Amino acid sequence: MSKAKQVYVTYIRSTPEKVWDALTNPEMTRQYWGHSMVSDWKPGSAWSLRRISDPNFSAACGKVIECTRPGRLVLSWSKPQDPSVVSRASFDIEKIDDEVRLTVVHDELEPESEMLRGISRGWPIVLSSLKSLLETGRGLDSDKLFRR
Amino acid sequence: MSNSKFLYVTYIRTTAEKLWDALTNKDLMKSYWFNMHQESDWRAGSSWEMKDSKGEVWDSGTILESQRPHKLVISWQHRHHAQARAEGFSRMTYLIETAGPLVKLTVSHESDVENSDLIAKVSSGWPMVLSSLKSLLETGEALPDPRKAA
Repeated sequence: MSKAKQVYVTYIRSTPEKVWDALTNPEMTRQYWGHSMVSDWKPGSAWSLRRISDPNFSAACGKVIECTRPGRLVLSWSKPQDPSVVSRASFDIEKIDDEVRLTVVHDELEPESEMLRGISRGWPIVLSSLKSLLETGRGLDSDKLFRR
Repeated sequence: MSNSKFLYVTYIRTTAEKLWDALTNKDLMKSYWFNMHQESDWRAGSSWEMKDSKGEVWDSGTILESQRPHKLVISWQHRHHAQARAEGFSRMTYLIETAGPLVKLTVSHESDVENSDLIAKVSSGWPMVLSSLKSLLETGEALPDPRKAA
């Protein structure tokens, strides 16, 4: 059976550098994601998405595959409790005049898996919140949305 | 796979009523839909048309279900490009759910046609329109048309 893929595109009134920083700076990610995204952002380095209330708990983790500020970031993506199941998330950031097109492609997913269900629900929450933070200075309450 | 489907979810800091009005009021629509707008009385059984600023009709159909402010289902035929027009009617649904101080908007647009040209076209269009709509409701200002970038 072929692997599954999810694509989410959003347009944000911002600059590629600000969108890049929002994706990779833990102080920014906690404002719209409710988690700290931690890595030194070098190809081959590890990354993890840590819960703010419990930094020892990672919601997701993996390796940095490609990192070209501010245009493209590619990550391998796993659950810490199941590191042998690996998917891939790619972020493409394109400047279009005064706005940015952010394309998130999450692929190499097992069909009908818990991970596929989770990211299909999760990316719209996270990326809606990211857009709100960059355009209004205030993210959405992602934690609450995840718990619904 | 036997049909074609586009699905998009966005969360907006607004109310269900304001979102419904933005989705159905032609003057609000023009501001975030890059000068396109739909005209209808939005009652089940009524017709609707999508027009550009010159009044040319690009898409049209019938209101299948209308439950302000939570659900709108319409049939949708493209009228401008021959290939998409020949596919006949697709179906588009807005689902509006309140989530605390936010609203969750789910847009699904599906066709019985395999590898539908219409669904391919709207799949690139909806993210532009819905991003612009979210900006309008949250900041008071819609986005510029990304297709008209320098």
